[in-house]
Order: sequence, then structure tokens, then C-alpha cells
Amino acid sequence: MKATEVIGANGVAIPQGTRGSAGFRTYEVHQRERVGQSTEKIKPIQLVSPEFARNPYPFLDILRENYPCFRDWLSNCYWVTRYNDVTSIFTDDANFETRPKRWMLGLDNGGSNLGGEVPVLTAIANGIDGNAARLAEQAVSGFAGRGRADLAIEFAARFALELLLNLLDLPERDADRFAGHYLAMKRGVTWEPRLRQRGLEAAGELERYFEPLLERRRADPGADLVSAIATLDREDGRASARDLVVTLLELDFDTLHGTLANLWLRLLEESGRLQSVRDEPRFLKLAVLETFRHSTPVLQAMRFARHEVERFGRLIPEGGLVVCSAAAGNRDPRIFRNPDEFIVNRKDLCHREARGQYRTDGLATGITVGLGPPSKHPAIPEDRPRSAFAIARDTAVTASAVLLDALDDLQLEPGAEPYPVCRRIGEMHACWRLPVRFRKA
Amino acid sequence: MSGGCPFALDIFAEPAATDDPGAQFNFPLMPEGEAVDMGHAPDGTPLFDPRILNSAEFMRNPYPYYRLLRDHYPVFHDRLCNTYYVTRYEDITNCYFDDEGFNTIPKGSSSGVLGNTQLELSGVEHRRRRNLYGQHLVGRSLRNRIPAIQRQARGMIEAWERIDDPRVVSKSNGVGTVELGRAFANEFPIRVVCEVLGFPKEAQDDFYYWYNSMMSGLGGSQTHQQGLEARQHLEDYVEGIVEARRKEPTWLYDEAGNPISKDIITKLCETRVDGDFLSTEEITSNIALVVGGGGETTRGAILNMWYLLLQHAEQFEAVCNDDALWDTAFHETLRHSSSIGGQPRHNTYDVVMHGVKVPAGSLMQMVDFSANHDERIFKDPETFNIFRDDLYSGKILRSGYNRDGRHNHMAFGVGPHLCPGAWISHQEAVEGSRILLKHLKNPRINVGRMPKDIDGESLRPIGLMSVRELHLDYDLG
Ligand code: HEM
Repeated sequence: MKATEVIGANGVAIPQGTRGSAGFRTYEVHQRERVGQSTEKIKPIQLVSPEFARNPYPFLDILRENYPCFRDWLSNCYWVTRYNDVTSIFTDDANFETRPKRWMLGLDNGGSNLGGEVPVLTAIANGIDGNAARLAEQAVSGFAGRGRADLAIEFAARFALELLLNLLDLPERDADRFAGHYLAMKRGVTWEPRLRQRGLEAAGELERYFEPLLERRRADPGADLVSAIATLDREDGRASARDLVVTLLELDFDTLHGTLANLWLRLLEESGRLQSVRDEPRFLKLAVLETFRHSTPVLQAMRFARHEVERFGRLIPEGGLVVCSAAAGNRDPRIFRNPDEFIVNRKDLCHREARGQYRTDGLATGITVGLGPPSKHPAIPEDRPRSAFAIARDTAVTASAVLLDALDDLQLEPGAEPYPVCRRIGEMHACWRLPVRFRKA
Repeated sequence: MSGGCPFALDIFAEPAATDDPGAQFNFPLMPEGEAVDMGHAPDGTPLFDPRILNSAEFMRNPYPYYRLLRDHYPVFHDRLCNTYYVTRYEDITNCYFDDEGFNTIPKGSSSGVLGNTQLELSGVEHRRRRNLYGQHLVGRSLRNRIPAIQRQARGMIEAWERIDDPRVVSKSNGVGTVELGRAFANEFPIRVVCEVLGFPKEAQDDFYYWYNSMMSGLGGSQTHQQGLEARQHLEDYVEGIVEARRKEPTWLYDEAGNPISKDIITKLCETRVDGDFLSTEEITSNIALVVGGGGETTRGAILNMWYLLLQHAEQFEAVCNDDALWDTAFHETLRHSSSIGGQPRHNTYDVVMHGVKVPAGSLMQMVDFSANHDERIFKDPETFNIFRDDLYSGKILRSGYNRDGRHNHMAFGVGPHLCPGAWISHQEAVEGSRILLKHLKNPRINVGRMPKDIDGESLRPIGLMSVRELHLDYDLG
């Protein structure tokens, strides 16, 4: 092949003309379908439709109950929708891989994700745990005196972003600029060309912004995330602003934002739910766990087959995309009774952090893909901070408790009909507008 | 909006694009040849929205978008549909020849219905089967069949007299009107294929129905169920024939009644691969492929050719005056408006093409439509011109053609998977058209009955869909 450089799977270029086609053969990967295997109950175009973005659950029910491994010709992928199937793929790193967000964004700047380094993890855990309550109070005080507010924007979105700003310890005058770029970069992880373009530009802006800051923190480090990255002791030299930007890109704050927004949507939808968490503060945590399950903000994760592998009656070819639908798995009636119902104190939901195959005490947990698969360790290893799952859960509880304490008679704005939606196909499924009124406690 | 918030909260206030149901794939219909503005990068590079590829606009007006891709994204990563599009002629040619690096596995969309065929195989497996089946579609055995093709065509035209459906054939005031699709082109290629395969005459109507159902029921379509059922019926039917042929071979005969050769099914029944006789499943799959590959494609070629020629009066006249020009007209039609958009391939290794990293195992669509309109190869590609001097219109070669400034078009592909039906479809289209021309005096498009473009007046461009119906007026007597 001219015009084409061929690089092997191990990253080494394959010299042209030496591949022996004589012995090369292929065989049947896509099986013939038989009568009765037709998938006519759903059209692939429905899975990228505005109706799906608004409420994916009816479509996912069709897939889960009829086509457990649905070959989607249009989007060139396989949909996996049953709880045990979804979790089995999430935990099977021998056969499947997750491609970094950078791949989707098309950010090819050579930076590396440092999110797995212990000093980075520690800075994140400490930064969040130590400040969550204070920042939640700050956000709530912004509207508490007003008697009405939009909880999705002024509480959920603001709080999650302020947590990040605080984690980075950015000067207040930079906050607005940083926030704009950061959110644009995150939204750039999409198929939508304008958003992607803006995302790439924003990543460049952030890199330029962080360059001098990184130097300053290296000379005079604090407890923040930028300092942790600046002072990392790595074999291949110092971390760069690129590494920092890539690390931020892969970090997940959406799940916290979306979970808080969806949690409060569900609590306010039915006065009984709100009352139950007021009466029994212990239930707040259970409500968060139920939100992870019932209204997971990140609907699905993309996994790619590392090599050809048989799953659920289908041969999935190397490189094949398996869309693991957390949303569908979380509503699997094989696992959860009345799965479409939001039940604050659900008896068949695991009440602790799950391990291994998403279970503890023999009970399943809500699949929250943004937070990574559960650890296989029976306990948290001593040299590591808590998991992203535990941090997000506890932070959501802390912030919600602050809100609950600060406001009385909290209710939806009369006439408002809030709902969760993906702003674009593939984006977070969250409640973006949640107008409420209340009295200051 | 907030007390003490260090950033403007309205960054979260943007309404969901999805609040407008149906907005997803609705692009405005543009004048032919112009693309919707999909935005620009700061350096002026136009952006490309992958949703356009599933829009009605694209179906009728694809070429300005392919040009955008060729010029700015020769390897385009469609992140919505997890596909890479390759759009330049030279790249596509290179990929087609490298069947190890870019193999054929992903043609599952047809295998789901048709079965495992040579279309999905590469390397040794492909070569063995290709030679088995392909030999029956070319060469002397088929040259001898030309009279039979002509006989089929004449027979169908004679039958117009007996058609009692004014939407297909009608006469008034010395003018005849015929819908060339239903009256001729839809069925003619299927009949020829049936004959070559050695199917009994009685079965041809069923065959036509199975064929239609299988074609409309390929993977992902709404009529998938129907497609699967038709494939099953075909198999049930073929099973009986195969058993009979295994015991008693049948032959093809020429006009004079001399046996030419055994028919294809008989030959397949006698064939062994690695010592094993072919199974009924394998024979059926390949019959399904020949039928699928030989029907819709040739139908589209015939209708598109007449549609284009009749819109270019001087070219049509030239063809009328010089019989030999039908050959160039056929090839220019396939270049300008082929009936197959392109072929999917799977890259075996991680590759970097035009700076785009494509991980191993990705679906790469080789867009033949775009190769045929690549201005790097064909001057003024949007123009239909049977006299162009950059198109090769000789015998189609597996090795392709690139000499004296002429290139082969890509409608039959190139390399190991080059369409083995290229020659027979050429004969069908050209012989059929010659016979039609004898019957149709002064033919012209009945504009009133044809679908219109967005201005409500001009004829609809062919775009990605071959002409579905072609209403012609002609002088009687
Ligand atoms: C104008 C009419 C036709 C067009 C445009 C056309 C186009 C094509 C193309 C582009 C391919 C290549 C597939 C690839 O690269 O993977 C192909 C393959 C094939 N075609 Fe055709 N075709 C036509 C007519 C026919 C006819 C009449 C027959 C049979 C009688 C036929 C049988 C086949 C078969 C069996 C293959 C598979 C070859 C292989 O994979 O080795 N085609 N065709």
C-alpha cells in the first residue's frame, strides 16, 4: 500500500511486502441469521433518535427483553443490555478494552493520563472530602434567601464545578475562563463536529493556561491537584501541562453533577420520597445509591473487543464495539424487582460499595460507568485512597444533606415538569432544569 | 443568578438540542451540487457532521459532501456510527488490492440474510471459492449465452402487448408510454441470472419474489424478517434442486440445441473444496449472492443509463447513430451514477492513513461513489459525458486500468473481489438497450410522471438511489 503507513498491534511498523498473503485466510465471523432471529422490534435509527435522548428506557427494554446482544448495523456496534452481561464485559479486561476519551475527542497531543498515580488520587480524595460540605453550603447560600432556585444549575452543576476549581486551587479571577474551557473540552468528547472543534480549541487554551501555573506550583507546591501533578516523581521526567489537561479530560465530574440533579429530581417528584429522607437521614445515602441505579447519568460505556470473542451467542470480531448499557442493566427485572420504580430504601439493592462483579452481600449495585468498575480487593488497599465510587457517593450525600438542612417546604415550582434528557445523543442523561421553591430554614 | 459564584452559570442553561424531536437527521434540502454549511474550524477548514450521511438531503445530493470529505477528510472518522470513510480513488484502489490488510469480514449486513459467501471471505478461502463460482460467469460459456440474453429481452418486450396495467404500459394518440422498470429492467437481470443458474422456468416468479425480499431485508432494515423468511424459502427450494442435480446433472444449450456446459448449480454440486463436497447451505448462500449481486445492480445500471442519456440529447443521438457507443455509455453511467455505493472493509492491523490512526478491526467504508467522482482522476466528474477521455471503457480487469490518462471506474471494485458479473451485466445492459432502442421510436422521458427535485420542476437527481421508475414516451407505428 502506498499512502499508508502500516503499524502493527504492538506499535511497530510492519515492513511492506513481507506479509505472507499465501497463508492468509478468513472465516465466517458474522453468522447467518435464521427466521426467528429477526430483530424487527426495533430499528437502529431509534437508538440515535431524539426520543431515545429524551427517554431511552422503553427502547432499552425492547433490546434487553428480545435481543440481549443486538447487532446494530447503523451504528456498527453490539448492544449489551442485561445486568450480568453488562457487568461481565466491564470486568473482562482480558477480552475488552476502553478507549480513552482522548480518542473520541481526537486529541493527539502526546500527553498522558496521570489519574492512576497514587499522589494524584490522594490529592483528589483529600481535596473533595475536605471541602465538600463547605462548598455545598456556599452554593446553597447563593440562593437560600431567594425562596426559589434552579437546583440543577445552581446546586448540582455549580457544586460539582466548584469542587473541581477548589481541587485545582485556581485563583477566583480565572474561574470563569477555566470553567468555560473545561466544560467545552469535556463536551468535545462527541461525534458532533462543532462541539468537538470547540473542545480541541479549549484543550489548547487550557494547556497554555496551565503551563506557567504548573511551574509556579512546582516551585511552591500546595495540597492541590496541580501541585500533585507538578511534583510527581516519574521515570520519564516531569509532568507537563499536556499531561494535566489529559488527566482532567479523563477525570469524571459529570457523574457527580448528573447524580445530584437526578437525585433531586426523583426526590421532588414524589413528596413521600423527600419526607422519607428528612425523617431518616440514613436514607439519603440509599437514595443516592438508588439514583445511581434508577437514573444513572452516564447511560452507557463503549468497550472494544481486543480480539475475536464469543459472547451471548454472537461472535464479536476483533475491534468490534460493544455498547454496554448501564441504563438497561440497571432496570433488568432479572436483578431488581419493579426496576422502573424509584424506591429510596430498596431491599434488593446492595447498600455498601460493591466488589468484583458489582455485588456485595449477594445484592447487586447500580452500574455507574463513569466511576469505573468495582475493585476486586476485599478491602481498600492501604496505600490507596477510597474509590471514585465511594467519593462520588459520599459527596452527593454530604451536599444533599446541606441542602436538606438549609431549606424547608422544598417543592417543585408549580407547573414545572422537569425531566432528564441527553442534550445530544451520547451525552449525559441528566435533569438540566429543576426549578423549586422553598422557605429558608 | 447566584451569590458569589465565581463563574457564569448560564454555561449550563443551554437547552437540549433534542428538545426538538425529529431534528436529529433533518437537514435542509440544498440545490444539487451545494452542501449545507456544517460549520468551520478557525483555520477555515469546513467541518463535517456525520448525521448528514443518514439524511434525506444526502440521499439525493451526495456529491458535494463526498467532495468535502475527499478534500478535507480523506479518511473520515464518523464517531456517531463508528465507521471510517475512505473517499479518494487512489486510497480505495490501494485498499482493495491489499486484501490482507483490508479484509472483507464486516460484510455481515448481507451475510445475516444471504449467508456466508465469497463476498465475506479473504485470502485462501476467498480464492478457492472465487474460482469455483466466478468461472461460470465469464468466458466462452457465457459468450455462447448472448443469444439467450437477447431472447429474454425480446420476449419481455413482446409481452408488453399483454400487460394490462396503464401504469406500466399505455397508448394514446400515437404515443406509447412505458415504465421501463416494471416493464423491463426490474425483472430482466433476474431472468438472465436464473437461466445461467439453471433454474426451471416455473420457479422464476417465486425467485423474483425471494430476490426482492432478500434485498429489502438485508441487515438493519425494517423488513429484515421478510428477508430471512425469503432466504429460508430459497434454501428449502434449492435443497430439492441440489439433491436432484447431484443425481442427475443438467446442461445449458445454445440456440442450435447443442450443450454448452453444465449449469452452475450442477457444477457446484460436483465441486469439492479441500476434499469436501459443498453443503446445501454453501450452495444456497452463493446462489443468493449471485442473485443479490446481479439483480438490483444491473437493474439500476439500465435505468440510470437511459435516464442520463435521455437527459443529454446529443449524447443519446450519438449512441443511436453508433451502436458501439453503448459500451462507453454503460461505463460512463456506472462512473457517474453507479448502483452500488461502496464496499466495507476491516483493517487487519492498526494503520495510519492521512494522519488518521485507525485501530485494527475498524469498519472502513470504501466509498466507490466518491472514487468515481474524484477530480484527481476524472475531470469535471459531476458531468455525464460519454466522450470523456479519462475513463477506460474496455474489458474490465481485475488488475484495474491506469494508462494513457485513462482509469477504470470503481463501480465493479477492483482487485481480488472485482465483480465477476461485470461482463455479464455489461452484456445485459447493452444488448437489452439495443433491442429496446429498436422498439422505442423517438423515446423521451415523460416528465409529468417522474419524481421532481426540490424546485418542483426539474427531474430528481439520481443521488445514491438508482432511478426507481422510468416513464418513457415513444412514437407508435
Ligand atoms: C452493473 C451491475 C453490477 C455492479 C455495479 C456490481 C458491483 C459489484 C461490486 C462493486 C462488487 C465488489 C465487492 C467487493 O469489492 O467486495 C461485486 C461483487 C460481486 N458481484 Fe457484482 N455487480 C454487478 C453485476 C453483477 C452480476 C450481474 C452478477 C452475477 C451474475 C454479480 C455477482 C457478483 C458476485 C458473485 C460478487 C462477489 C465477488 C467476490 O467477492 O469475489 N454482479 N459486484
